[in-house]
Amino acid sequence: METKELKTSPAPNVPLDNEELLNGLGSELMDRRFSEGNHMARTDSRWGKLNVPQSGSDKDDTSRSGTAGSVDSVHKPIKIEENVAPGQLYATDSGKLFHAGKILIVLVGLPATSKTALSVAITRYTRWLGVRAESFHISKYRKEMNYSGDDCYSAVPETKVGKEFRKSLLESVFNDMIVFFQKTKGQIAVYDALNIRKEDRTNIHIRFANLNIKVIFIESIVKDPELYELNLLNAAKASEFENFTKEQTQNILKRRLQLNKSFYQKMSKDEKLCYIKFIDFGKEIIVNNIKGGYLINKIVFFLMNLRNTNGKIYFSRCGTSEKDNYLNDEELNKEGIDFAHRMTDVIMERVSKNEQDPDNQEMARWKLNALTDSKPLHVFTAERKRTYDTGQFFAKKYNIPVYQRMELKQLREGSVADLSEEEKQNRYPTEYQEYLKDPYHYRFPRAESYHDLAIRMEPFLLELERISGDILIIAHESTLRVLYGYFMASSCQDLWKTNFSRDEITEITITPFQNQVRKIPI
Amino acid sequence: MPKSVRTITSAEDARICVVMVGLPARGKSFIAQKIIRFLSWISVNAKSFNVGQYRREAGALKPTPDFFDMDNDNYFVIRKQAENNAIKDILKWFSEEDGVVAVLDATNSTRERRAGICEILKANKIEPMFIESYSDDESFILRNINEVRKVSPDYSEQDPEMAIKNILLKLQKYEKNYETMTSELDGDLTFIKLVNGAQEAIINRIKTYSESRIAFYVMNLHLKPRCIYLSRHGESVYNVEQKIGGDSCLSERGLKYAQKLPELVTANAGDANLTVWTSTLKRTHETAQYLAYKKLQWKALDELDAGICDGMTYEEIEDKYPDDFKARDDDKYEYRYRGGESYRDVVIRLEPIIMELERQDNILIITHQAVLRCIYAYYMNVPQEESPWMSIPLHTLLKLEPRAYGTKITKIKANIPAVSTYKEKGTSQLGESVTASKASVRDIITSIAGDK
Repeated sequence: METKELKTSPAPNVPLDNEELLNGLGSELMDRRFSEGNHMARTDSRWGKLNVPQSGSDKDDTSRSGTAGSVDSVHKPIKIEENVAPGQLYATDSGKLFHAGKILIVLVGLPATSKTALSVAITRYTRWLGVRAESFHISKYRKEMNYSGDDCYSAVPETKVGKEFRKSLLESVFNDMIVFFQKTKGQIAVYDALNIRKEDRTNIHIRFANLNIKVIFIESIVKDPELYELNLLNAAKASEFENFTKEQTQNILKRRLQLNKSFYQKMSKDEKLCYIKFIDFGKEIIVNNIKGGYLINKIVFFLMNLRNTNGKIYFSRCGTSEKDNYLNDEELNKEGIDFAHRMTDVIMERVSKNEQDPDNQEMARWKLNALTDSKPLHVFTAERKRTYDTGQFFAKKYNIPVYQRMELKQLREGSVADLSEEEKQNRYPTEYQEYLKDPYHYRFPRAESYHDLAIRMEPFLLELERISGDILIIAHESTLRVLYGYFMASSCQDLWKTNFSRDEITEITITPFQNQVRKIPI
Repeated sequence: MPKSVRTITSAEDARICVVMVGLPARGKSFIAQKIIRFLSWISVNAKSFNVGQYRREAGALKPTPDFFDMDNDNYFVIRKQAENNAIKDILKWFSEEDGVVAVLDATNSTRERRAGICEILKANKIEPMFIESYSDDESFILRNINEVRKVSPDYSEQDPEMAIKNILLKLQKYEKNYETMTSELDGDLTFIKLVNGAQEAIINRIKTYSESRIAFYVMNLHLKPRCIYLSRHGESVYNVEQKIGGDSCLSERGLKYAQKLPELVTANAGDANLTVWTSTLKRTHETAQYLAYKKLQWKALDELDAGICDGMTYEEIEDKYPDDFKARDDDKYEYRYRGGESYRDVVIRLEPIIMELERQDNILIITHQAVLRCIYAYYMNVPQEESPWMSIPLHTLLKLEPRAYGTKITKIKANIPAVSTYKEKGTSQLGESVTASKASVRDIITSIAGDK
C-alpha cells in the first residue's frame, strides 16, 4: 500500500502528508548536518524545528505542577505551538504522527455505555504518544445551548423546536471538529455522542471522508446487566447532575435510555464502515476493516488493556540513605526506615478507607472484574535497594506482595550523575546551555532524557490501566514525574518541573471524566 | 531480598498456552513461530509444540489425505496419540523448565477438542489463549498451500502438483468437521480470531497485559514476501583505535565500504524499492551516504551505551574496572555498563523497531554491532546466552528472508579489509582465535541457513 506512494513521492525533506505516511514510527529523515560537540544530543534534529516555549513562560504553570486539588489537563486544548508530548517519538512539521493522517473517532452507543470514559482515555493516551487529540463531548455543547425540552436527549426529536435544536447542536460540534482538523493541526478528534442510527453514521462518514479524514467508529455495547448498573452509577457522577439527588439522577438517565432505545441500530459489516466494537468494557473487541495502521493498532492495543477501574494511585519517594547518590546503591538509613514505616501505615489507612466507599464495593461486586487484576492494593517499587526497602513493610507487616519493576528505574544521569547544577554548568558549559533550552528532551552525554524514560515506561503505564484497586508506586522523583505526567496529562514543558518532596505522598483519584490530585503529608 | 518481593508483576505470574485453531494452510505455523520468536526475544520463556511433528514421530511420515478423515478409526488413534503426546510435553515443559508461554500448533478444529484442551490446561493452572486464523479468501489460502507444499516434511518428496492436490484433499477432510470460534458459543474463552490475515479481528476476554501484547503483535504481522538487509557501519576511527562507543567518523577503509555498499545492495536487491534505516550516530550516516534510497534515522538504533567505559579500549576497561570487566564476561546479556546499558536494555528499546519492521516491506538497516546482534537474534531465534557473543564482522551485508517456517539468511562479503572488533570471553584482546568449539557457538551465520 505504501510502496506505491513511495514511487510517486517528491524529493525528501518536503513535509507533505504523503511523505509523512512513509516515515516509520519514531524515525526521521536523515539529516546531513552532523552536529559537532555533544555527540549524544538529539534535541537539534528531532525537535529543533518546533517552537518549544522557554521554561517558565507558561502562566498556568502552577495549575499543572501538582498543587493540591488540581485536575488534569486532558480537556485543555493543545496550543498550536505546543505540540510535543511526553511519550512522543518524533516531531513533524505538520504535527501529525505515525503515518496515520487525520482520524475522526466516532463513538457509538446508548446512554450509560461509558462513551465519555472511553473518549477521555483514548484522548489521554494518544496525547501522551504525541498525537494532537481532543474529545468533543456533545453533552458539553448541549449544556451551553440552553434548551431543555424532554426530547433534547433524543436521537430523533419529536417537536419542531427539538429538531431545530438537534440540527444546530450537531452543526456546532461538527464545525468545531473541522476547525480542529483544518486550523489547529488536529490529528485525532474523538466525537462523544450517541450516533446510534445508521443514517447519522453515514452522514458523518461522508462529511469527514470528503475532507480526507479517516473515520473510525468505536461502538460501546453493554450486554452485562451488572455492568450497566455500574455505568449508571458512574454516569451520575457527571457535573450536570451536581444538584440532583441520586434517585432523580437515575430517573433522568433511564429516561434518556428509553428515549433512544428504539432507534438503536447496531453496527454491521453491511454499513461498509471501519469500526471497532467494544463490548462490556473490553471483554470482547471486534476490529473490522481497519487496515492495520500503526496508530489504530496501538489504540486497539490500548483498549485491550483499558479496564473499568476507579481506584486511587499513590506516589511515594523512597526513604533517605546515607549519601543519597545516584551511582551507589545504598540501603536506607535510620531516617529512611522511619519514613518507610510511617508511609506504610498512612497508605494502609487510606486504602482501607477507600475499601469502605460504597461505590468501590459496587465495583468489587462486578463480576467482570475477573478480567482485571483485582486486589485492594498493589505495591510497585524500582529495583534499587532503597526503593524496595521503602516498600518492605507492606510485605512484612501486611503480607502484601511488593513487586519490583525494571521500568521504574530512575532517569539515567550519565556523565552528570551526582553533579550539582553548578558543577554541571562548570564541567559541561556547552551542554548545559543546550539542556536549558529543552530540559525534557535533552540528554547529557550518555544520560537518559525524560523522554527516553517516558518511552521505556509505556508498558508499565498500560499495566496500570488494567489494575483494579489502589496502587502505590515507590520510585525516584524522575520516574514519578513521568507517571504523574501521564495521569494528569502534563505537557513536556511542565512534566520535569513537578515536585515530589520526601515528606508527603501524592494521591491521584481516577474518574471517567478527569483525574484529580492531592498531597498527603507523612 | 524478602521472599514476597518479586521481580515480575502479578499479571505475569500466569502461564499461558496459546492454542492455535484453524484449517490447514491458514498460516498457523507462521503465526506460532513468530510468537515464539518475539517472546523469546523479549526474554519470555516460550516454546512451540507442533502436533504434525508428533504425528510423524508416531509413524505417519507421509500420510495420504485419507489419514485426516475424522471417520477413519485406524488413523484416528495415531492422530489422537500425537495430540496427547504434544500436550503431555507441554505440561512437562511448564513444570520442569519454568515455561511461560507455550504454543500448541495444531488444527484444534472442533469445539469438543478445544474444551478438552482447556480442561487439561486449567487443571494444571495454565491459561489457555486461543488464536484462530480463519480464511475464506481463496488467494490467501492458495498462497499458503504453496508455502506448505514447499516447507512441510509431509510433502517434501512429492511432485508439486500432486502435493497441492493432496493438501486440498486433506483440507476437505478437515472442513467437514471444522467449527470456527464465535463469541456467542466461545464467549468464556480468551481468544483472538484473525479473519483473512487481520482484515477482521475478534479479541475476546484478554485477561493480562501479556495476552494483550501477543494480540497486538499478531495484529501487526503480514505474510507478504520481502527482504531485510542488515549491515554494520563501515570501519570507524574508534574501531581502528580499538575503542568502544563514541561517535567517531569512518576510517578510510570504512569509507570504501560506504562507496561499495550501493553496488552490493543492487546486486542482491535488484531494482526493488528499499528504505534505509540508520542510527543517529555519524558512522552510520556516513556509511549510508552513497545509497540512493529514502533514509530515516532512529534513536532506537544507536549503539549499546557503554556508560563510563565509552571511548575506552577493552584493555583500559580491564585495567581500570577489573570487576566490571569480569562481570560483563560472566553475563554479557545482563551486564549493564555503569551509567550505560545492557543487552537487555537494548532489546527493550528495539521493540517498536521490530513491530514496525513486521509491518514494513523491504528495509536496509545500517547500525552497530550490539544492536545488530539483537535484531539478528530476533529473526534467527538465537538464545540470549549466545546472541551477545555472535561474531558479526564489519564490511559484510546480511540478507534476511523471513518465511513461514524460518528465516533464510545470506552473508555477502564486501572484500574490503577491516579490523576485527570481536572480543572473546576472558580476554581484552580483539580478534577471533579460531577454536573450533567456540566458533560454532558464535559463528551462527553460514552462507545459507534456516533456523528450524
